[in-house]
Amino acid sequence: MEQNSLLEKWLNNSLSEAEMETFQKSEEYPFYQKLIADASTFKASHFSQLSNFESLKQRLPEKEVPVRKLNSTRWVLRIASVFVLGFALFYFFQFKPEIKIETLAGQKTTVELPDASLVTLNAMSEITYSAKKWNKNRSLTLKGEAFFDVAKGAKFDVITDKGSVSVLGTEFNVRQREENFEVICFEGVVKVISGNFTEELRAGERLRLHKSELIRSKSAMEGPQWNSGVSDFIESPFIEVIKELERQYNVEIILNGVSRDSLFTGGFVHNDLENALRSVTEPFGLSFSISENQLVTISKREN
Amino acid sequence: MTEELNQDICKEDTFKHLYDSHATELHNYLYYKFGESCNPNDKTQDAFVKLWENCKKVLFSKARGFLYKVANNMVLNDLKHRKVVLRYQKEKPVDRTNENPEFLMEEEQYFKKYQQTLAKLSEEQRVAFMLNKVEGKKHEEIAQQLGVTRKVVEYRIYSAFKVLKEELENFRIK
Repeated sequence: MEQNSLLEKWLNNSLSEAEMETFQKSEEYPFYQKLIADASTFKASHFSQLSNFESLKQRLPEKEVPVRKLNSTRWVLRIASVFVLGFALFYFFQFKPEIKIETLAGQKTTVELPDASLVTLNAMSEITYSAKKWNKNRSLTLKGEAFFDVAKGAKFDVITDKGSVSVLGTEFNVRQREENFEVICFEGVVKVISGNFTEELRAGERLRLHKSELIRSKSAMEGPQWNSGVSDFIESPFIEVIKELERQYNVEIILNGVSRDSLFTGGFVHNDLENALRSVTEPFGLSFSISENQLVTISKREN
Repeated sequence: MTEELNQDICKEDTFKHLYDSHATELHNYLYYKFGESCNPNDKTQDAFVKLWENCKKVLFSKARGFLYKVANNMVLNDLKHRKVVLRYQKEKPVDRTNENPEFLMEEEQYFKKYQQTLAKLSEEQRVAFMLNKVEGKKHEEIAQQLGVTRKVVEYRIYSAFKVLKEELENFRIK
């Protein structure tokens, strides 16, 4: 959250005069200005026109004038439903349930927590937390994968089936899919607890738990690649890559005589299925076919 | 403005008022999120027709939410992961004396890359960025349109810009 704050403020139009002067003198400023200006070449109104109200009116179905009858049963039901509604609201405000946010295949979303922390969920992931208790205890459960940008404050806990992550104020990514648990720290310090292990990660460090083995490595990225539309892997079993493809594209993939454990290093984009399949199959000399109902089959290439 | 909350959508004046308030924004939102091929104008009209058909059941204050939900569902029923490629239209340059073929080709490459990068952004990032920087909508306005907080909007715009500057770094004149 601390890096690039001038850039952030500029994008928010919240720079002070002095800050603006400094920012405008920076080397990158002309480039940034150009990027923003050039966005207008893609403006919607150049290519798509909204019809006016008159043409909408043509499409509206005829409305019948209803004959209103006074019905006493209806009134009794109305009064009863007000009571039920009142009770439901009362219940809701007294016993506030937990908030659950989930994403479907091919979907990502960003949410803001009550303390201004931000969570971005990757596809097919879910977080659950109690908004009411948040000020006293920042703890949520995660299924799947999410990137966290945590506001400074008291302890913040992310709990998954295979391990938990504890931080103060920082940026990190947690991935828990099937048997695997992986945490990458981008800023600050995080503490990872899993089974008998407790490990501390600093910025640029990555921790992976596969079955019972804990592996440490480095990560040079500034943030998770999936947040920029790419899934990347370092020596990941092929089956994990395939599963992530299924999640991003909402397709079913059948492996035909192909090894599930071959290690894959590389990535695929989220917006072009054929491109993604090529990225994943070419390194192993495999071929793929897509059937009409979005069923993908990957098999050994015939020579 | 509390009288508005009880207004009857089935009355033509009220319905027209809703159209004037929300149609353009809904159209632009659909365009930036799903691209031209989803037929944003058609879908916007269809959403309003649906609103009219359900005018007795929808509260005035909930009309905007209804429209966005209906429009989104209609588009999602059609598309299955088509790449969102937004078209670009460059301003015709006034002074052509500086334009040698090399410059023109580089410019073409730049805009092609810009187009690809926009396609690479998540829907959320692209919509927030375009609505703010191209349509001039304030962060708070966008937040209300999308049903999220202002901070989330700021974050999506920031994320989008980071991807753009990284992908287009090579076109920077150093």
